[in-house]
Amino acid sequence: MNNASPMLATDDIEVAGVTRTFAVDARSVFALRDVSLLCGAGSFTALIGPSGCGKSTLLRIIAGLERPDAGTARIGGATPAQKCRTGALGVAFQDAALLPWRTVRQNIALPLQVLKRNSADTHALIDGLIRLVGLQGFEEARPAQLSGGMRQRVAIARTLVTDPSVLLLDEPFGALDQILRRSMNIELQRIWMEKRPTTILVTHGIDEAVFLADRVAVMQRNPGRIAQVIEIPFARPRQVELFSAPEFHRLADGIATCLYAGTNQ
Amino acid sequence: MRAALTAVIAFIAWEVLGDLHLVAQGALPSPSGIALQWWQDRAIYPPHIRATLQPALIGFVAGNLVAAVAAGVFVLVPGFERLLRGFNIAVFAIPPIALAPVLVITLPGDLPQVVLAAVGVYFPTMVMTLLGLEDIDPRPIDVIRSYGGGPLAVMRWLRLRSGLPGLLGGLRVAAPAAILGAILAEFGSGARWGLGSFLLGSLGRGDPARIWGIGLVATFMAAIAYGLCALLARRSTASMAAVTISAGRIEAGTLDRKARATRIVLSLGALLAPFVIWWGILKAFAVSPVIARTPFGIWQYLISDPAAGDARADIMQALSQSLPLAALGLMIALVVALALAVTGTLWRGLNSTLMPAALFLQTMPLVALAPIIVLLFGRGMATTLVVTVTVSFFPAFISIAQGLSQVPATSLDLLSVYGASRWQKLRLVSLPMCLPYLCAAARLTAPAALLGVMIAEWLATGYGLGGLLNMARGELDYGMIWAVAFIAVTVSVGFYQLVRFIEGNLLARYGVMAGGG
Repeated sequence: MNNASPMLATDDIEVAGVTRTFAVDARSVFALRDVSLLCGAGSFTALIGPSGCGKSTLLRIIAGLERPDAGTARIGGATPAQKCRTGALGVAFQDAALLPWRTVRQNIALPLQVLKRNSADTHALIDGLIRLVGLQGFEEARPAQLSGGMRQRVAIARTLVTDPSVLLLDEPFGALDQILRRSMNIELQRIWMEKRPTTILVTHGIDEAVFLADRVAVMQRNPGRIAQVIEIPFARPRQVELFSAPEFHRLADGIATCLYAGTNQ
Repeated sequence: MRAALTAVIAFIAWEVLGDLHLVAQGALPSPSGIALQWWQDRAIYPPHIRATLQPALIGFVAGNLVAAVAAGVFVLVPGFERLLRGFNIAVFAIPPIALAPVLVITLPGDLPQVVLAAVGVYFPTMVMTLLGLEDIDPRPIDVIRSYGGGPLAVMRWLRLRSGLPGLLGGLRVAAPAAILGAILAEFGSGARWGLGSFLLGSLGRGDPARIWGIGLVATFMAAIAYGLCALLARRSTASMAAVTISAGRIEAGTLDRKARATRIVLSLGALLAPFVIWWGILKAFAVSPVIARTPFGIWQYLISDPAAGDARADIMQALSQSLPLAALGLMIALVVALALAVTGTLWRGLNSTLMPAALFLQTMPLVALAPIIVLLFGRGMATTLVVTVTVSFFPAFISIAQGLSQVPATSLDLLSVYGASRWQKLRLVSLPMCLPYLCAAARLTAPAALLGVMIAEWLATGYGLGGLLNMARGELDYGMIWAVAFIAVTVSVGFYQLVRFIEGNLLARYGVMAGGG
């Protein structure tokens, strides 16, 4: 598993008819109603929508952290529960979720420990990831000594340590400032192009979604659902200049219109 | 429904066991036996209750007044808090039973009970009020300061109001502590009246039903006091304050040279302050030098007197008997508490069921129930251990369960993504996350453990520090009474500081726990 080539065959993600309800004050609210989504192997999909549209819930269902009331989520044809034991999933949350008593290196190694994969080349693998996210020299630092952006980069490196075929990112840059966020977007694109995992990114940022994704799924709430899927045709690698291109803004405006149409209902 | 059924079955089992004298040759009386005895004793209870309640009440009021004023001063003059930190820790760590004989020989009438009740009250109220006064939203402070308001204005408009829940929460914990203090002082005074004296007398006569009756009455009184203060807190504040006590906080960060120098001076002052206060009280009350021992007097008794060697040998022997038991009892309590708290997180909802009971029982005067344990377990080492574990368990459980509940959900989710087992989650995340809370539990529980050991030794086994103290009291060996009290407090404070040190290193390693990614 550790010796797999970077261009490994990736898994597709298939969400079919997923419904999830929560009880609020004795009445049930649809966090998600009959949501279906197909993400081809190696694709990059962004989920965007207002708070409470169920986008995080959808991601958690795909990651196997929550169960749907109806419908299924499958990764490469298997259930999330089966898939997660193989280390095929990499998940990053808005919170870096680092363990404060572990060094950067030990934090990145955590998934390998859980999967009981302790081979000799682990050290080199982690060094490579630390270089990839640009944290050379901080290998032995503890989370408290790092800035918010650096912690988030450790979390990204940890996400990649199992060489996952699927990346599930829940607003990983949500707490960062605009400038840092942009440079992280560019880094994420670079990392993604190198390994090509099937990726779903949950975000609040329209520009982030348009810049990174092949497709943007716009979600609306009450009930949580996917209102529209918009294709993003720009060639890769996408450069920073794209943020100021007119066609970029046309697409972003289209998504914004779709989002606001949902909130006015 | 099922809980009610379990309770009924347990009650019936208790009745049968008691009626047939099945436990420890009748040391566990049946509920009906206790009720019957209680009814026969109904005429003697009121004077005993009054004799305990009155000094407890006076001590409660006095201790809380001092605590509230002290907390206010500590907020306005932070240096003062640093200076009195040693004193505060000593008050927290004093095993009340060690102080009881000293108070009995120095103070007249029921003043020993009043003072011991006040000492029990001071620390919880002071700490929780201080937390309430300090832990306020910094933005309104900026608003007041931007209109030229100083620290007094901040106190007047913000802190007093926001400190109220803390104060009231403190009262709730303090109320049963006042009753416990009064009872423990009676253990040491040999007074005619009071629930403590009543318990002691009945223990001598070996009267299980009556001892249980008195124990239940004492618990009931503490519960009522707790309930009244809880009601007051609920009525006057919408929000609930924290219920447990955090004894002191760990400070981090670097200091410049001048600040460091000030800190060293204050730390030295903090070390000396308890001795100055001790000496000052003796002078202020003009206690007869025959009875009183100043810090210098202790030095003479233990070091420079011709007979000092004998006294030292006695104390060393007592320590060698008491400390291992206290450590063992503390360890058992921590392990059981940890095991139970961990089990509680694995079976969802178990901790939320156990927690209210633990919070309530933590404040009950469990030490006063030691005679019941003596009845059940005899006069050997088992009794000492059971008493120690009983009084240490609840505070330990509360602290650890809170630590486990603070484990961030995302860290656990992260492990789920890799299919981690419950055991892996526990080993890799929950237990390390819980370690500082385990330290806090050890630190907060250690004085209780020492108190438990000394009470059991005093009442039952006659060994160790408690036995030595009881003997010295009987022989009116004033030097020994003071020396044992001094050693007990020193050991307790020393252990407290040791754990603080370990905890400080741990926390520094953990960095900023809450916001730390």
